[in-house]
Amino acid sequence: MNGMMLVARREIGTQIRTRAFKIGLLITAVLVGALAFAPKLLDRPDTYTVGTVNSQQLPLAQAAPDAKFEWRSFPDEAKAKEAVLAGDVDAVLVDGVKVITDGEIESELGVLMQSTNREVKLGAAGVSIPPLQMESVGADTRYEAARTGIAVVLVLVLFMLIIGQTMMVAMGVVEEKGSRIVEILLSSIRPWQLLGGKIIGLGVLGLINLGTILVVGLGASMASGFAAEFPPGMAGIVAGVLIWFMLGYAFFATLAAALASLVSRQEEVGNVMSPLTMLIMAAYFVAFYATSDPTGTVATIVSFVPPFSSMVMPVRMAATEVPLWEVAASGALMILAVLATLSFGAKVYERAVLRTGARVKLGEVLRAK
Amino acid sequence: MLEISELRKRFAAAPGSPEGKLALDGIGFAVRPGEMFGFVGANGAGKTTTMRIVMGVLKADAGSVNWQGKPLGYAERQRFGYMPEERGLYQKMRAGEQIEYFGQLHGLSAAAAKKATDELLERLGLTERRNDSVESLSLGNQQRVQLAVALVHEPEVLILDEPFSGLDPIAVEALATALQERCRGGVPVIFSSHQLELVERLCDSVGIVSAGRMVASGTVGDLRAAEGRTLRVVVRGATPGWADGLPGELSLAGDRQVLLVTGGDDQEILRRAIKAGHVEHFGVEQPSLTEIFKEAVA
Repeated sequence: MNGMMLVARREIGTQIRTRAFKIGLLITAVLVGALAFAPKLLDRPDTYTVGTVNSQQLPLAQAAPDAKFEWRSFPDEAKAKEAVLAGDVDAVLVDGVKVITDGEIESELGVLMQSTNREVKLGAAGVSIPPLQMESVGADTRYEAARTGIAVVLVLVLFMLIIGQTMMVAMGVVEEKGSRIVEILLSSIRPWQLLGGKIIGLGVLGLINLGTILVVGLGASMASGFAAEFPPGMAGIVAGVLIWFMLGYAFFATLAAALASLVSRQEEVGNVMSPLTMLIMAAYFVAFYATSDPTGTVATIVSFVPPFSSMVMPVRMAATEVPLWEVAASGALMILAVLATLSFGAKVYERAVLRTGARVKLGEVLRAK
Repeated sequence: MLEISELRKRFAAAPGSPEGKLALDGIGFAVRPGEMFGFVGANGAGKTTTMRIVMGVLKADAGSVNWQGKPLGYAERQRFGYMPEERGLYQKMRAGEQIEYFGQLHGLSAAAAKKATDELLERLGLTERRNDSVESLSLGNQQRVQLAVALVHEPEVLILDEPFSGLDPIAVEALATALQERCRGGVPVIFSSHQLELVERLCDSVGIVSAGRMVASGTVGDLRAAEGRTLRVVVRGATPGWADGLPGELSLAGDRQVLLVTGGDDQEILRRAIKAGHVEHFGVEQPSLTEIFKEAVA
């Protein structure tokens, strides 16, 4: 255990000091912070400039509380026409009976003006109409936009972190194998200690990254006011992300170490890792698809299948309400898959990592006694 | 005492060839505490394979490695120091931290590892390089760090595969001194090398490997004795035919005659040489390790 912790500590200590790690962390923090402010910047309310000639202002703001209205009044129609053609106003109500615009009126503004006008005239005639009560009998969609947004960011973050840290594990394994450091290491510690320490160390670095993203993301959301749109149970979503990241990382990193132990040169890493990279990409695509259809059959089924579940389930959890039993069942399956991978990966690693030289065939390693 | 006996190892066949390569064919030798053992042999003779088996990096098909009378296990190996053939260091790690790290992996406490590292860096003249990354060091200094990694935990046995290769004469001396110090402290040292003069100068005993077998081993003196004594006699102005009938070769160099003779009565030869002319040289030829080596692997 001591040996494993020493290895883990070395991984953390050497990586955290590199410029690449610090800059990477800074860039992610800035990006995530910017992302939290983006909805506020992009989602500006509609603004209309409406003019009047010899008319009363319509209570447009009352009918459309999300939009902003600016009123201007003109002495006569000719002046109003000039302003409309110059683009200074969107529409001008003339004598309370007609509206002039440059080209066809914007449909939303048109409907708004018609209906408000009707209401005002009816009200003046003493008719009052109670407004329609709106009621949804479907799922709570109040937070849908925010949920989808969070899920899309999440899927990207999980993908980047898993593929990044997994690659680091693979390169670390080959570094030690290719330079024969592994021979010195394995004359003082066991293979599982070396493998375990490396996976834990780089995993902790991944968690530091993920933690930064979460803290900056949540902090910036609060500052920008985006947090107000967060769905309830945000704490659960955050905890879920951390746990699913750990499970997914453990699965992919172990396989990466096993595959990387087959080769002795950094140039061969990409090649030997390609099946695994494709698997991670596949998980990413399914998870990305799940953000747009989190309640669909495909997303639901795949969120139970390891290792895809490690990316799809947290996305589903963010994008929609997932029953607790589904999360638990999917988690249990993923844990089983991780355990199986650990025993398989450790075996391959132990047998292959000292066989320097030409690429070792996986079948050969498995057949060996 | 470290005893290696009857080691056999056959490497798996490459696809296409049914046999595989026989790397070790019953190699065996022993190294006593405080003895420096030089391991020589052509490339591919089995030196590295033997060392890797001793260090537990490879498994032998048959044979045994005993340390202090008991089979060598994982716990004992932790107290060995090892330098593999192709140098292995973390390039991006700082020299001092790297040495400390390996010390701790070998079971030293953090404080003890730091202390041992400081001492080693001082001895190897690397104190100023403590915080430099390994990749920024010269090759010679990298090799010193590698040695420090093998020495940091005060090993009970040292196994070094080609420790002198690629070093300049000054670095060779520094390394040799460091090894001799350990040796005097009672540590058995095994190292392989192609620099036979160096082996001859440093080692108490030598093992010559060929095709996975130990073809000759013992002290350099023993090996010479086994070669048979060769007399070298130089006579100036000798009468022709004085050496007729002696079991040797006579050659001419100007007015000097040089006789190389193996066996025969040396006193009789001397008397005949004095009678024949002016004896300039009369002595036993010491075969160099290179000659012994060539003879042994032939």
